[in-house]
Amino acid sequence: MKRKSLFSLLLALCMMLSLAACGGSSDTSKADSASGDTAAAGASDEKIVIGVISPNTGALAAYGNGVVTGADLAVEQINAAGGILGRQVELIKTDDQSDPTECLNAFNSLVAQGVGMIVGSATSGCTSAITDAANEEEICLLSPTATADSITTEDDYVFRACYADSFQGAIAAAYAKQAGFDKVGVVYCAADVYSKGLYDSFSSACGKYGIEVVDAQSTASLDVQDYTNQFASMVKAGVDFVYAPFYYDVIGPYVVPQARAAGYSGVIMGADGYDTTPDYVVDGADLSAFNKVYWTNHYDPTDSSEKVSSFVKAYEDKYGSVPSAFAATAYDCVYMYKAAIEAAGSASPAAVRDALADTSTVYECVTGTFSLDESGTPVKGAAIIAFESDGSSVTSKLLDVVSKLPE
Amino acid sequence: MSTFFQTLIVGLRLGSIYALIALGYTMVYGIIRLINFAHGDFIMVGGYTMIFVVPAVLALGLPAWAAVVAAIAVCVLVGMATELIAYRPVRKKGTAMTALITAIAMSLFLENLAQAIPAIGPNPKVASQIFSAGGISIGPVTLEYTTIITIVISAVVMIVLWEFTQKTRLGRAMRCVSEDKAAATLMGINVNRTILLTFAIGSGLAAVAALMYMAQYPKVYTTMGSLLGLKAFVSAVLGGIGIIPGAVLGGIVIGLVESFTTSYISSSMADTFVFLILIVVLIIKPAGILGRNAGEKV
Amino acid sequence: MKKSKTARGYFLNTAVIVVLFTAFQFVTEALGSRSSFKLVLAPCLWQCCYLIILAASLNMVLGFLGQLSLGHCGFMAVGAYTAALISLACERAGVFGDKHGAAFVLVLFGCILAAGLLAAVVGLLLGIPALRLKGDYLAIITLGFGMIIVNIINNLPFCGQDGLALGSAAASLYKNGLGFGSKGKVEYLWAAISVTVICLTLMFMFVRSKYGRAIRAIRDDEIAASASGINTSFYKVFTFAYSAFFAGIAGALYACANATLSTASFAFTNGGILNSTFVVVMVVLGGMGSMTGSIVAAVIMFFVNYEIKNGAWVSALPAAVSGVFEYPMLVYALVLIIVIMFRPKGIFGSYEFSLQNLIPDIRAAHAARAAAKAERKEAGSHV
Repeated sequence: MKRKSLFSLLLALCMMLSLAACGGSSDTSKADSASGDTAAAGASDEKIVIGVISPNTGALAAYGNGVVTGADLAVEQINAAGGILGRQVELIKTDDQSDPTECLNAFNSLVAQGVGMIVGSATSGCTSAITDAANEEEICLLSPTATADSITTEDDYVFRACYADSFQGAIAAAYAKQAGFDKVGVVYCAADVYSKGLYDSFSSACGKYGIEVVDAQSTASLDVQDYTNQFASMVKAGVDFVYAPFYYDVIGPYVVPQARAAGYSGVIMGADGYDTTPDYVVDGADLSAFNKVYWTNHYDPTDSSEKVSSFVKAYEDKYGSVPSAFAATAYDCVYMYKAAIEAAGSASPAAVRDALADTSTVYECVTGTFSLDESGTPVKGAAIIAFESDGSSVTSKLLDVVSKLPE
Repeated sequence: MSTFFQTLIVGLRLGSIYALIALGYTMVYGIIRLINFAHGDFIMVGGYTMIFVVPAVLALGLPAWAAVVAAIAVCVLVGMATELIAYRPVRKKGTAMTALITAIAMSLFLENLAQAIPAIGPNPKVASQIFSAGGISIGPVTLEYTTIITIVISAVVMIVLWEFTQKTRLGRAMRCVSEDKAAATLMGINVNRTILLTFAIGSGLAAVAALMYMAQYPKVYTTMGSLLGLKAFVSAVLGGIGIIPGAVLGGIVIGLVESFTTSYISSSMADTFVFLILIVVLIIKPAGILGRNAGEKV
Repeated sequence: MKKSKTARGYFLNTAVIVVLFTAFQFVTEALGSRSSFKLVLAPCLWQCCYLIILAASLNMVLGFLGQLSLGHCGFMAVGAYTAALISLACERAGVFGDKHGAAFVLVLFGCILAAGLLAAVVGLLLGIPALRLKGDYLAIITLGFGMIIVNIINNLPFCGQDGLALGSAAASLYKNGLGFGSKGKVEYLWAAISVTVICLTLMFMFVRSKYGRAIRAIRDDEIAASASGINTSFYKVFTFAYSAFFAGIAGALYACANATLSTASFAFTNGGILNSTFVVVMVVLGGMGSMTGSIVAAVIMFFVNYEIKNGAWVSALPAAVSGVFEYPMLVYALVLIIVIMFRPKGIFGSYEFSLQNLIPDIRAAHAARAAAKAERKEAGSHV
């Protein structure tokens, strides 16, 4: 009896597997022909398909949520305005759960479905898993927020809409130099590519500018809740400038209040991860802790320029919350594709790649007006922004715009 | 010296949170011998409940911590539903391992369900201030009132649970079920109801832990329970699983080790040392710090 | 009589494997250039290969030895980084230039073997103290081991910037070392499959040998086993290290299939299906003590995960249903709970698939079913 049912189950499973395998291959063969169409058709009615890979579920789902909402908004606006080259745009969204393997799977399935242009992924770790594959398959890859230096250097088909770590870290070091700090400390996360990458570039730039990194403390993971000991160590080392490259969800509730509670009263400097921090502070707590917190960003969120304010307004109307840097850069990615497709006059990956590789093109985006350098990374200035607080709320203020690194 | 006190206080703060969570863990484990992976997620449920209830509570003119009542109610319901829908049917048919898998699946289910609910979503949420700031200053360092409250609550909960399991009828029934289910049935104890009650108490404790967690680390996100639950489980095992004072002791030890490693050894290797201590302790005392080594019956 | 039966079994199995393998080679040749094969099937097969080895190797500890290990991916991480670092070192030393030719194949298999060996050494070092504990205490130690390994690799200088290309222990192996792109995965699919077949054969032989019988005796009653002269400590530690060896090999295959290594992939809280808890799920779902079950469960878990995330059929579903699929792990968790409810002993229980016994098995199953039917009929007529 038992054996029998086991056996029938085995057979059923085998059938299921073969079905799954067939399912996998049949949908792709169908897609093969579709890919030919998209590539060849210049001005047909066929939709232009853009793939999105982002961590929509799992530990980093908040980043993926930003990417998806930003890209959705851009596509909605573009379609409402008549599309690109008269063709409507369609997004195919996939989830990489912030795991490189899943990211590669998502990439492969998008390519097999005939997608030739991809926005993704949100983190450097995942994006580095697909950059070479994008090159091998000759698929355009435009990452909104993968900041690791190595992402765009090797491959012709890979571009991004954000800085490389080496630029942002160095800007912070230059700011420290300019403000007259010659002894600094760092608190970072050794297990996170973003945080570690910024730490590395900051400390090497410090070496260049003659600043001494007196103390570097780390955390074991981004799930750590308590940063008191790290900042107590900074106090002990006697530094008044700490570089702390973390994300908003750690900075707002944990890092800044705990640093102040530990007796650290100096400058805390960060990077674009600090964006939207004012939405993640503790209501009712003493928010004057956020004074003397500075950060570098792609753009100034308080900018009153038409481009930024209309984006922020459209986003708030649609989703009821302030856009994060992930949303802003993903929004820009879609518009960069639009500009590139229009410049190329075609949506074929090779033509779009050539258009994106043209370093003379200037993109007017929410996150700044910029062109791409030879590697495919934007050349744009960094806004240095300060948080200001009267104790009950936190606001941002533009301090400075740095367009070039000092020698 | 001030570094030492600072480190000690951070250790106590983390440790008291771990202890409070570990108490709920150890209750459930003690009675059905199941590593309830979903316990950490009950804390997430409690945390989100409070995020939504605190504004209403404040509007009524009550203190923010009164929201814990709603959180306890929701957590107890979720905990009992988990037991009734998932664990009980599997326990009836399967082995200890299938129960473990169900617990893993439940944890996964709760985390992802939370993300799928639009009001919660994947973005983390930051709580408002629950207890007023301030504390006792010892030289340059401050022992915050919230830390003291957490430790006091952990101690009170520990004593109440201890008295409950030792003195009351229901508590004795619980211990009886954990010793021998079949014998308990013969003694006229309704095993299923007792287990359900344990789940209710354990999940209610998770809500209390969520309150104290949010008072000190005011951020909730859907996957917050996984590492927190893990550390709490480690605490429970370290102290001797199923032993109520052991959970508190284990939690405090883990918190202190984590904090002192960060300050004095290596801030990026804290996890390594936490688990190394665990391994060393278990090798010296295989049943945990307060556990007794029961000889095996042949 | 018995000997000839064993010999016949070996012959039958070898023959079938050779035939299947040859057929497979022809299929690869014929379809290798098709994009559906290159982009979907070949990468999937690679992933199935390392998941199968991983699940089967854990089954030796969990199903046959009866010890719960929650840190199996830690060994995989050791293997993956070992293989990656050795292959990078070989490339820098000029042992191979591009990923073709005999020298590369030699390095590839050398790396895979070295990955297994180092993981086995780590398994030995962990197993000697840890296996003095039992049940959930052992589980918690192995879980701690999984966390420690990730933490240590993150902090090793040669695993970060200097050793591998990208910071924080993430590394691009695509151009360097043994990582394969889409074409490479098709070209070296034979290597993945043959490594898997060899590993499975070694594991099958182990559980059917005197060792396998000894550890099953330990699982069923450790005191009785030790009383009948089995050196329980030796067998437990040996099985643990042997299992770690294969987990290390799975790690090496993982490094080949993924252009990037990142410790987050092996962490306990990793969002995907590759983490230590899911390996346990695979073993239990397949049936503890059934190698066949582990293999099938690994493949099923992989495809369910892959299909609910990437399957084109999802978008064809009605909007209400496909909305749920935006949360693949939610669907996944539900599937898991339902399967466990209906088959609490796992899909296969402790049944082993065997070519030789295939026909008798089917007959026995038929007979059993007929008997059960008759019984039901009888019971029904009484009512």
